[in-house]
Amino acid sequence: MLMHSRQLLRVRSTLVLCLLVTACSQQPALKNNTPGFEGAMPVDFSGSWERDYSRGDDVNGVLGGLFYRLNRQAAQRNPGDPRLGSATPGISEREASSILALARLAELITRLDVLTIAQNEYEISIERKDDFTMLCEFYGGVAKGTTSDYGSEVCSWDGDQLVSHLILPDGLNISHRFAISADRNHLRVATTVSSSATRVPFTLTRFYMKFDPPTSEFNCIETLSMKRVCSTGEIVP
Amino acid sequence: MTRFRPPRRRLAAVLVAIALLSVLAPPTAAQQLPSEAAVTSVTDERKVTELNISIVEFDPGVPKDRSLHRDLQVFPRIREIEALFLPFVLRETLVATDEWGAVRVVPEPDFGAELLVSGTIVRSDGATLELQLLAVDASGREWINRTYAGVAPVSYEQSDAAPGLSGYEQLYDAIAEDLLLARNGLENKALRDIVEISVLRHANQLAPSAFGKYLDSRPDGTFRLNRLPAENDPMLARIERIRGVEYVITDAVDAQFQELHAEIASTYDLWRKYRRQFADYQREEARRQQNARSDAPRGTYEALLSRYNNYKWDRLAAQEQEKWAVGFDNEVGPTILAMETRVAELEGWVQNQYADWRRLLAEIFLLETGLEE
Repeated sequence: MLMHSRQLLRVRSTLVLCLLVTACSQQPALKNNTPGFEGAMPVDFSGSWERDYSRGDDVNGVLGGLFYRLNRQAAQRNPGDPRLGSATPGISEREASSILALARLAELITRLDVLTIAQNEYEISIERKDDFTMLCEFYGGVAKGTTSDYGSEVCSWDGDQLVSHLILPDGLNISHRFAISADRNHLRVATTVSSSATRVPFTLTRFYMKFDPPTSEFNCIETLSMKRVCSTGEIVP
Repeated sequence: MTRFRPPRRRLAAVLVAIALLSVLAPPTAAQQLPSEAAVTSVTDERKVTELNISIVEFDPGVPKDRSLHRDLQVFPRIREIEALFLPFVLRETLVATDEWGAVRVVPEPDFGAELLVSGTIVRSDGATLELQLLAVDASGREWINRTYAGVAPVSYEQSDAAPGLSGYEQLYDAIAEDLLLARNGLENKALRDIVEISVLRHANQLAPSAFGKYLDSRPDGTFRLNRLPAENDPMLARIERIRGVEYVITDAVDAQFQELHAEIASTYDLWRKYRRQFADYQREEARRQQNARSDAPRGTYEALLSRYNNYKWDRLAAQEQEKWAVGFDNEVGPTILAMETRVAELEGWVQNQYADWRRLLAEIFLLETGLEE
């Protein structure tokens, strides 16, 4: 039992050290050592997906659950802690507000009604209204990341699940884990936001259903000089 | 949007057919070549310095590794269009100097061309153009082999330069000047040899037994004149008439490049303008970021949101640029496709004729000399 506690302590220390190292680096680092795959991509996510509001997490519910868990852990560690009766037990107020900040951000970036996913041999693009299109590139089965002055983005496969990692400055990390149902009609997206300001990540899960977007009477294409050009007839190309 | 123009194509076909009919017919008195050696007659019609130039479609310079395209901001389809478009801008510059014979844009390298110019697009991002240029004459002599870079001045959008050329005049002028400099470094004898070697390399491709002995091909890829064909060599007269037909086709192909240039130049300029604006935006945004870092305490919602939004707007801007690329391709795609189809038809016709010409010339050579081709 004592041995087990020591091992746990060592793992925790290592994790804290890792978090500190990440937090101290100003520029987001992208490590392209995500596992590769052979042949075609493991899963086809392509299609139009609309939010299934009957399922998925409620942000307040998740927060409540998280604080309850932290409270229990704190109670096990230190039964006499006077903060156990407070609104954010077991953690400092600063950490609690950091968790709340993560929750607000997670809610903001998962507030999407529709996802349009396109997939080809090399890339998966996840188009989101009012937000940037997430891009997962794989060449020869190996993930290719995108890096700019403002952050880095790279994807990986965890079995049949696609995971998009966004690494932003000041230790802000956002990951989206996409999993599709066996009948390919339902999509689960678990979004985890973590920051170097708190040891506790925050995860929200959303569900989407596949749908066929309505067909328009017009055929449209984007052009450079005339912007969007639509016609009731066929447009070349 | 451009559609196929069948009447024009039909007219070109008729012109070609008319030219073809007279190719292998016996020369009339009016067509008899002058009494000088047949090869040199080519130079009689123009000054010896006025070499014909063939500019081959540029190499788009797209890295084979697809994974690099985004990082290098290379849009492969647009590079392919530029590879068709930019040689014509160079052609226009060379024609304007009034120093050369016919300057043509050709889809495939014509290794017997008097002067063959080929190029690779190293960089083209709206504000900067870098071209790797190689010019080699028919004798295999290298005239230029270097990279030219041009940066469009900020004011180019207001300039009244020709569409597609604006901002890069200095780059094209530099190429034209270097070609002129290289030519002026050659004596008239060397220039005349280039023309003669050009004709004989072409003749050698069509009738190797008849013309193989006139040229020495060296291991370093250069050619040297051994001797000239006899005066009024009837085989050479036929070769020259075939070449005349080829020139008709080449001019028809060149006209397609000219048409392409006229039709897409303004859209191409718009593309360059947008790319330039994107580059300006990125610079401006980086400067803004440096001067206006969020002072919200770390870990607060405001600080997290600021980090997220910075990345989001940067990605949205980059994705907007990719949409422009699609828009550009959508807009000029039909023109490019029509042009490529017409050029392929003309090229295909020449290649088919080549087989017939070679066979007929071999038969004629056998009849006239009794020697097997």
